[in-house]
Amino acid sequence: MEEKPQGLHSGGDGGAHRIAVDQKDVKPHDHHMIPVWFFVGVILLIYGVIILATGIYEFSSPPPTVLAKTHPAVWWGALLTVIGGFYVYAYMPKKS
Amino acid sequence: MSFSLSLAPAMLWFDTPDLAQAGKRLILLHPVDMAIIAIYFAMVLGIGFYLKRYTKSGDDFFLAGREMTAWVAGLSFVSANLGALELMGWAAASYQYGILATHWYWVGAIPAILFLGLVLMPFYYISKTHSVPGYLQLRFGEPTRALSAISFAFMTVLMSGINMYAMALVMKVVLGWNIHFSIWVSSITVGVYVALGGLFSAIFNEVLQFFLIWFGALLIPILGLVETGGWKGLIARIHQNFPQGDYTHLWQPMAHFAGNPMGIHWTGIVLGLGWVISFGYWNTDFLVVQRIFAAKDIRAAKMAPIIGSYFKMAVPFIVILPGLLGLALLPFKLVPESAVGIGQHSYNEVLPLMLARYCGPGLLGLGITALIAGFMSGMAGNVSAFATVWTYDLYRPFIRKNASDNHYLSMGRWCTILGVIVSIGTAYLVMHFGSIMDYVQALFSFFIAPLFGTVLLGMMWKRVTPAGGFWGLLAGSVSSVAMFLLVKFNHSMLAYIALSSDAKDMAENMYRALWSWLICVIVTVAVSYFTKPKPVEELTGLVYGCTELPDEGHLPIWKRPIFWAVISAILFLILQWIFW
Repeated sequence: MEEKPQGLHSGGDGGAHRIAVDQKDVKPHDHHMIPVWFFVGVILLIYGVIILATGIYEFSSPPPTVLAKTHPAVWWGALLTVIGGFYVYAYMPKKS
Repeated sequence: MSFSLSLAPAMLWFDTPDLAQAGKRLILLHPVDMAIIAIYFAMVLGIGFYLKRYTKSGDDFFLAGREMTAWVAGLSFVSANLGALELMGWAAASYQYGILATHWYWVGAIPAILFLGLVLMPFYYISKTHSVPGYLQLRFGEPTRALSAISFAFMTVLMSGINMYAMALVMKVVLGWNIHFSIWVSSITVGVYVALGGLFSAIFNEVLQFFLIWFGALLIPILGLVETGGWKGLIARIHQNFPQGDYTHLWQPMAHFAGNPMGIHWTGIVLGLGWVISFGYWNTDFLVVQRIFAAKDIRAAKMAPIIGSYFKMAVPFIVILPGLLGLALLPFKLVPESAVGIGQHSYNEVLPLMLARYCGPGLLGLGITALIAGFMSGMAGNVSAFATVWTYDLYRPFIRKNASDNHYLSMGRWCTILGVIVSIGTAYLVMHFGSIMDYVQALFSFFIAPLFGTVLLGMMWKRVTPAGGFWGLLAGSVSSVAMFLLVKFNHSMLAYIALSSDAKDMAENMYRALWSWLICVIVTVAVSYFTKPKPVEELTGLVYGCTELPDEGHLPIWKRPIFWAVISAILFLILQWIFW
């Protein structure tokens, strides 16, 4: 099946016409899909809370890892929680 | 996806299949780690089910509705390439070769990615084709499309199976998981979410996986640098542990073939890797390029790879640095797979070893999730690209023309399942006949370098004819296979093909790619001069000089792709200078 190049010469003027670089040349979608960033936020938030909680527990029972005294699970878990929380808040689906 | 850019490290896992039977495990997971992994699987499946309702047409399924922003397409573009074997293989390579392995992320990626964004992407995007073989059909006709589509579909699905088996083997060695469990659970999950949401689902999950890979792997270099006392401390410890080798310079050791552990000369890196293989992979491998096809407009399509270039440039921080930290910090020396004895560890285990060194419960689960995510993003990339090429470039033109869009959408879904089943079959085939791995990995690389010659000439020069494109591509691919077989059956030929009898597999790959690209270009040009070119009006939107490129004049400088590409290029050059 012969595909035809589309886009530039779809205007029927027999040749190329200039199009803007940010012109959207497909029909805009009318759906309201949840942005991918929201899903990213959700999983980072869940992981952050789990790892932070594990890190707090490890104060009484430190793991046998190098640099365990720096409590990486606490600060890494906190970081994930903050970033995840931000994405969840910023991209929370709005009720229409 | 591991093609020749990650060829050698991936192959390392197969040097001794007995490893899997050894029954050792590096890491013991806790319930909290298992919970983190289970949440990941639930999340990716949930995204697939959620996105099914938005996948109503062929454009939705195969091109994600062409509505992705530059950031989403760009992160997905990098993520599709960032497979688990990529992470573990290159960490192993950096332990073995030192910082030389970084070439595969910098000179072997950044110039090609920027070239894709600035030069080739406008043609791909303006032609509104569904795939790279689709572009070849527009430019050169059906025979060239068929040649490219068949080789791509065949190799992609085989590579998917090989990667699947390799990942299952990794899970067996690292975690002690049953190999069949790993193959079936991970592949069915990928099959379900891609079949439900198509490229939408693949891209959404790739973005998710991108974050998990980074957050899962980033802790190792951070804590490693804390332990060594920073970069200077790291270098000092490597020199102390390995006084005879140069593990910390990018270019200095490559003045001679024998001057570095890769056995490669700088010309091989620059011309073979930096030019032919890298440009071929990043510009014509549909697996990665498909992510950019989904961009919402031309500026997003140009910006996506440029955004991706920044993250690609940073990947050595989570891949190469752990290997170097292994050189500096591990109290024992790692050995090649073929030399592993009782109580010893291979190069391939450096990343899991460093993970276990720093990460306790929870963080360990996150790190393992990063590896699983890397594997699944690569596999999803394979099956979604396979479904598109099969449906649009083989099924529609050669088997059933003029069916409804719904029919092709349905075919895409079934084809995704079929791709997963064939991948599983390939995984079991490799499990029983490990040597297949060597050939299939090499086979995939046979088509990439000549394909780049065909696409580049086709886009840049209107004089290239359909016959020139077809015969050039065929000659390049056949000559690549011939060179591979020549060396396989007569090792003395290595001195001619790779310019040195000291050349290792990686160096041979570089030079074979270079010669096959040159043969493709020469045959294409020669045949084109003896055959009739297409009229200029048929080349509009396909070829430089016959196409008015989008006008960026109305945009402020900081919104122009060229601006961000130049900054990326400057950063790239600064990194070469720093680590020279």
